[in-house]
Amino acid sequence: MKQRVQPRTLFICLSLLCLLAVWLSLALGPVSLPLFDTMRAGLRLLGLPIAADGLQQAEMILGQIRLPRTLLGLAVGAVLALSGVAMQGLFRNPLADPGLVGVAAGAAVGAAVAIVGGSWLGGLPEVLAPYLLSLCAFIGGLGVTALVYRLGRRDGQTNVATMLLAGVAMTALGGAVVGLFSYLADDATLRTLTFWNLGSLNGASYQRLWPLLLVAAGVAVWLPRRAMALNAMLLGESEARHLGIDVERLKRELVFCTALGVGAAVAAAGLIGFIGLVVPHLVRLLAGPDHRVVLPASLLAGGVLMLLADLAARLLLAPAELPIGIVTAFIGAPFFLFLLMRGRS
Amino acid sequence: MMRRPVALLALCASLVFSNQALAAETLQRWVSAGGALSEWISALGGEARLVGVDTTSQHPSSLKSLPSVGYQRQLSAEGILSLRPDVLVGTEEMGPPPVLAQIRKAGVRVELFSSKAELAAVDENLKHLGQLLGAEQQAATLASGYHQQLDALQAKVRQAQAGQKAPGVLLLVGHAGAKPLIAGQGTAGDWLLSQAGGRNLAAHQGYRNFSGEALAALDPDVIVFSDRALADEQALQALLKENPALAGSRAVREQRLVSLDPTLLVGGLGPRLPATLQSLAATFYPAAKASLAQ
Repeated sequence: MKQRVQPRTLFICLSLLCLLAVWLSLALGPVSLPLFDTMRAGLRLLGLPIAADGLQQAEMILGQIRLPRTLLGLAVGAVLALSGVAMQGLFRNPLADPGLVGVAAGAAVGAAVAIVGGSWLGGLPEVLAPYLLSLCAFIGGLGVTALVYRLGRRDGQTNVATMLLAGVAMTALGGAVVGLFSYLADDATLRTLTFWNLGSLNGASYQRLWPLLLVAAGVAVWLPRRAMALNAMLLGESEARHLGIDVERLKRELVFCTALGVGAAVAAAGLIGFIGLVVPHLVRLLAGPDHRVVLPASLLAGGVLMLLADLAARLLLAPAELPIGIVTAFIGAPFFLFLLMRGRS
Repeated sequence: MMRRPVALLALCASLVFSNQALAAETLQRWVSAGGALSEWISALGGEARLVGVDTTSQHPSSLKSLPSVGYQRQLSAEGILSLRPDVLVGTEEMGPPPVLAQIRKAGVRVELFSSKAELAAVDENLKHLGQLLGAEQQAATLASGYHQQLDALQAKVRQAQAGQKAPGVLLLVGHAGAKPLIAGQGTAGDWLLSQAGGRNLAAHQGYRNFSGEALAALDPDVIVFSDRALADEQALQALLKENPALAGSRAVREQRLVSLDPTLLVGGLGPRLPATLQSLAATFYPAAKASLAQ
């Protein structure tokens, strides 16, 4: 039996890490601001009466660029990690990923329709374009997930195995549709599509942040309430039913939360892989499989990992920046392999 | 009564001029996110003002030593602001829009130019750049020289066409010779071919992948090949090796293959274009080579 970390210690450590990551995310960037200026600008943003002289640049960078970006990173990371826990609990399979129910593929199709279709229409008005992309991605993700869920249902029961296979099939189909659109797209549109598929927190703004923050808050409140039910699911579906859990309702809620959360995250920041897969593992490894711990801890760890990955994305190649999907995969994939190898020995 | 409009005019003119002088004086630090624009800025003597360029700015090669702000469609607001620029110039391809909005909000001028493959766009861009750099006279000279070169080439091409039919041409864009894309109608490549007096055999829109058989069936008189990985002779060798179906075409039998710098195909028309068009035309009309090369 491996030594497990006490939940209390874990939460204290993760909260501290989270604060540290937020601080780093606000304090570091390609523009080097004096630490004192950053702090004063931060306090000014909080509404404290501090003289504004010489702070314009710091305030602008902190308030308009770094703060929305940090909030976006926290929300996206938290939602992706929570959805990962939900999916791994639903499929009772540690390899489950939020993309498994087709939400990522659906969102990618929605984005392809918006990007390529938009260029066919001769470009949309500049105000509308970003919202249309997010909206199409969100609707695509939700739609495909609903279809996968529907395909998995028979006689009022949801067969998880059927749903998983339907998800795989829909993902393949989505891949084909995206492929078709990239074939039809011109060069410029193709590059936009490629970059969208790699994800980025670049260009975060408050207007586009609010919908995601609302969804993230909803998911973050709702899923931990179902921790006991998810624990019962670990024993098996029929066992959970015998323990008095409404299993069908639980499945519906898990799928809905994932579709909503991942759909909103993808709509705001593009496809970002590996957070949903790796973070729940990491937490379980440290604290054991109890969902009462895993859910809130994943929420914090997802946010932390996302912020750190974003820090690397914006600092490594400054003044250019890396798509964050590349960074998370570079961190995530070796770590995942490490877990696999460790488990075997 | 006549005095007032004149005075008003003079006032306006003086305002405009002082504004421009002001612009040229204050815009000391430039970031350029467009290959052709960077070339024009250098040609106008503004290279020393560039503090950052995007990944499509490869010419002149001294630009490569400047900090790179990444790909023009994926700019980073804070990355660009860290270079403390006074102005960011780019084509309408530049983005994403929220990042441009953030950069504007930070007080940096964002100036947009056209990347269309047409002469009017070059004129407009040069005029605009000249104003921003305070080098209007130079810009006007460059623009008229550009026109002259292209007009002279057109005249020679027409002359050559009297002796020889316009050749059927395909422009292939590839990576180390493999799976080339064919430049169709409406692309910058198509504009290049027609300016040099070639007849683009590809009838589709945009860039498309063709099967080897379809390529051979078009039977081009000349093949222009633009490779992103290899240059000149090596690129042509790789193309023939990867696409054996081409071997039967007239272009290969008569050894009429020519390579083209791929950076000419993106981001609008740049200053290196007339020379390239001249060498293309010389390949298209071998009989008139001597007159075209002048």
